[in-house]
Amino acid sequence: MSETTQQLILWLIPVAPLLSALITALAGPGALRYKSHLPCWTALAVSFVCSLILLFQILPSVSQPRTVASETTTSESAESVAIAPGVTAAVRPQVIAVGYEWFQVGTLNVRMDLRADSMTAIMLCMVTGVSLLVSMFGSGYMHHDPGYPRFFAAVSLFVFSMCMLVLAGSFLMLFVFWEAVGLCSYLLIGFWFQKPAAAAAAKKAFVVNRIGDFGLIIGIFLIWQTFGSLSFEEVFGGTALLNAVAETDPGRIQLICLCLFLGAMGKSAQFPLQVWLPDAMEGPTPVSALIHAATMVTAGVYLVARCTPLFVLAPGVQLFICATGAITAAIAALTALTQTDLKRVLAYSTVSQLGFMFMALGCGAAGPELVTAAVTAGMFHLFTHAYFKALLFLAAGSVMHAMGDVIDMRRFSGLKKALPITHWTFLAGAAALAGVPLLSGFWSKDDILAVIGEATHSAQYGTFFRVIQIVASITALLTAFYTFRAYFMTFWGEEKFPEEAGHHPHDASPVMAWPLGILAVCAVGIGLLTGPTHLFAGTLQRIQGLTAVETHGLHWGVMAVSSGIAIVGIGAAWFLYVLSPGIPASLAAGMKPLYLISNGKFFLDEIFQWIVVFPLRKLAALAVLFDRFVIDGIVDAVGMVPRALSVLPRQLHGGLVESYAGVMWVSVVAAVVVVLSLF
Amino acid sequence: MGDADRFLIVGAGLFVLGAIGFVTRRNLILMILSAELMLHGVSLTLVTFGHLHATNEGQAFTIFTLTVAACEAGLALSLVLLLYRNSGSLDIQLWSELRESDMPAPAGGFPKEEPGTEPRVSPGYDGLPRLTPAGRVPTDPSRSSNASASTSVRT
Amino acid sequence: MMQWMTGHPVSVFGLILWAAGILWLMPGTKIAASRPRIPGLVMSTLGVLALCGSAGAGQSDLAASFLFWLFAVGALVSGVLMITATYPVYSALWFAVVTLCTCGLFVLRSAPFLAAATIIVYAGAVIVTFLFVIMLAQQSGAAGYDQTSRQGKMATISAFVLLGAIVMAVQTPAAAGSPVVAGDAVAGDAVAAAPAVSNPATVANTLSLKDEQHEVGNLKGLGRSLFGDYLYAVEMAGTLLLIACIGAIAIAPRREQGTL
Repeated sequence: MSETTQQLILWLIPVAPLLSALITALAGPGALRYKSHLPCWTALAVSFVCSLILLFQILPSVSQPRTVASETTTSESAESVAIAPGVTAAVRPQVIAVGYEWFQVGTLNVRMDLRADSMTAIMLCMVTGVSLLVSMFGSGYMHHDPGYPRFFAAVSLFVFSMCMLVLAGSFLMLFVFWEAVGLCSYLLIGFWFQKPAAAAAAKKAFVVNRIGDFGLIIGIFLIWQTFGSLSFEEVFGGTALLNAVAETDPGRIQLICLCLFLGAMGKSAQFPLQVWLPDAMEGPTPVSALIHAATMVTAGVYLVARCTPLFVLAPGVQLFICATGAITAAIAALTALTQTDLKRVLAYSTVSQLGFMFMALGCGAAGPELVTAAVTAGMFHLFTHAYFKALLFLAAGSVMHAMGDVIDMRRFSGLKKALPITHWTFLAGAAALAGVPLLSGFWSKDDILAVIGEATHSAQYGTFFRVIQIVASITALLTAFYTFRAYFMTFWGEEKFPEEAGHHPHDASPVMAWPLGILAVCAVGIGLLTGPTHLFAGTLQRIQGLTAVETHGLHWGVMAVSSGIAIVGIGAAWFLYVLSPGIPASLAAGMKPLYLISNGKFFLDEIFQWIVVFPLRKLAALAVLFDRFVIDGIVDAVGMVPRALSVLPRQLHGGLVESYAGVMWVSVVAAVVVVLSLF
Repeated sequence: MGDADRFLIVGAGLFVLGAIGFVTRRNLILMILSAELMLHGVSLTLVTFGHLHATNEGQAFTIFTLTVAACEAGLALSLVLLLYRNSGSLDIQLWSELRESDMPAPAGGFPKEEPGTEPRVSPGYDGLPRLTPAGRVPTDPSRSSNASASTSVRT
Repeated sequence: MMQWMTGHPVSVFGLILWAAGILWLMPGTKIAASRPRIPGLVMSTLGVLALCGSAGAGQSDLAASFLFWLFAVGALVSGVLMITATYPVYSALWFAVVTLCTCGLFVLRSAPFLAAATIIVYAGAVIVTFLFVIMLAQQSGAAGYDQTSRQGKMATISAFVLLGAIVMAVQTPAAAGSPVVAGDAVAGDAVAAAPAVSNPATVANTLSLKDEQHEVGNLKGLGRSLFGDYLYAVEMAGTLLLIACIGAIAIAPRREQGTL
């Protein structure tokens, strides 16, 4: 495959959705209308195929010549070989598609180049594949909506932004598309902008994300100041530079990492910035599946994983990441226990699983030899989570569709006969999320638990990681419990429909059923396919900052424990919600404060309301007074001056044509007289 | 040759008279006629100078002046007709929209009983497409432009 | 200026008399019983006579002088009546008289073709069109706004200041070397025969030099000038007429059927 073809394929991945977005946005309302999904489907299919080609064809093909070249020519690659003594020399295939120079300011030269390595390729396959399925589902789900073209335009734009985000070759480009996915998220959360709740949720997501983005841009500034460049190649490539900075100024690396992680916290909804994600469920359910479960919220995990070479040098920050992840996972899981809104349960579970990913990423603090395993575990969980969580959301969407947009689990139950396809696919997703053995969630969660387990052997932070391990185990138990609580409440028990559903709730139509089925197969099988076979890890580990490690077998002990946890959790849910449905209510009554805390989402929204929003409102009120009486006063005073000066001349502007003509005439006379008397 | 002064003075007199008429009269047509009078003065001056210098240039210029005056008269009369159709009167004072917003309207104002006060739409335009008035609040925001399409799909 | 005023009292007297006549004849700012028009007419005529008579008569013969007085007084007095008439139709008719008199003056200045052209264009076309419009718009005769005028004093006084300045400039002997009307400004003296041509260096435009083949006032000479020296300008003037014609057609008619 020639260089040009490779570049073309690489460019096609983001450009196809962009074209689709443009076509749908321009022609959608007028010409395409309820065929607006066609450009989107086509573009996403093209992107998906190109991503697969990238992963399986291009990257393996470029790896061979690169290694030869690296040993003979470039000194930079020689260094990277040198830093991994004892381990097989890292093969780092990457493709760079040359773009154009975006701008140049001083020494800062920002190019729009696409850069793909194996992590990018995996992300791209996952993003485009899930997007394709979600857009298919969405065409069925949204078929009655007047904003149909707008939906597909926004989804295409989102996929474009997300692809560019993972294909970014520099921090600045990453930031630009980081904001772009935030924008698309805003647009899609607020898709039904007539609904005040949706508009408020979109605003909340946008504002909370700004806090994180503030950290991210500060971090990027610091990187530029420290390293003089924003390109991944130059920042991560020069290991000597990294090490030198780490030795002379370790505090600065810590600061950079902290700032970058702040950005990740916002985007990936980590404590305390996770408040926006549950509210984001106001958007259409396919959007929740695509953006707020599978792809965009994982951008933070991707960022931290991408910056592994930096984070390795800041173990303190890694501990912070780990702790944040653990707190988030625990809080979200506890909150999910008592929610009655099916989508909100799933949203909290997303937050919780993101916490798991960060926990895994933070385990790198335990020692450099664990970094690779930690990043692999985090990214693997990201990968499998995308499939089964998208599946769960889509199945929830299908439930919602059948129930006439009712999503409160108390109002329906026993749907397994009425909605068989939805039931089975939801069950597959729930089992995968709960970590039932051999399903995909099992393998990735097992990886995370194993990494945490290994981190407890660290001499320095052993105690810390033991706490993390306990939290993670309990959270895994809770995950299994609340997932199956939602499952049992929705699909088991006596058959009950809300009146909005009509008499015969219909199961998913084919266009919705097929994506559900495909995703169910993925949720069941993709972990088994790529996890224990070391396919995922082997592919991922060929990126910068990671060293390929040999397979360390399967963690039989951890697997046994996590299987046990999953089964206990599911069993508890079955006991409480199927066998003796009276117990949960009496439990809630018995532990009222705890129940209130959980049901009230730990009152985080209220706390934010009092700590942040209330003082800001007061400040704004003061500012309004200042603006009205001081600023406006000055402006008005300035405005009075010409008005006062114009009192007399204004008399001439009576609107009479004769008076204008007269003024002109007198002026001409005066001019002529002056000229004649002077010359 | 020596009596060019007299002709120059007559030309200047005509010009000045035209100017007085233009400034003082309120009838649109008389204003235009006064402008033509000023052009006569200029023409006479040009011809006089041409005669004085014994060349044809003055007369050539006058011919051009004549041409432009004819164009001007035609266009101005068309515009006057247009204004007359809109206000029903030839009074220049009715067209005083340029005044300062807080200045009083000139005496008389727009005649209320005249048919020109309403924005006119010629009756012959009924068959043609017409812009809907702006500023209408949509009654149902959920179906903005493609309400018919959505209902058809729903059924 | 004072020197000129003392040197030419007749001119000053004429100017003032004329201005007073116009002011007398001018309608007021409010509709009022009209003054008798005869005194204003007499004042204007006397003023015009005095002003024109104060200028040098040159070496013209009696017939030319008579015709000049006829046309000059006719043009100026008709102009006064035109701008002060309270009926627009009368104004248009007085304007026709002004045009005829001006054409007579053109003939006196050896421009017979121009006189004919002006009569054809103005009296034949323009005034008739104006009359059509007036008849169309104002069938009821004089409207209120025709019987009043605005800022009449200001306009008249400033206009006569300008006229006075021009008359002064014409009657003041030019300084030596002043190129334009050198010689002729010295009214009625002996420097009669083509003063500008006698000194070619003072004339900027060589086209204005006297050419024996281009006889002044001759239709042939005018045609050579128009279609030789000013061919492009003539073409452009023709185009301008065409465009104005299209514009007038586009603007004026009521398009009941939405044509054009």
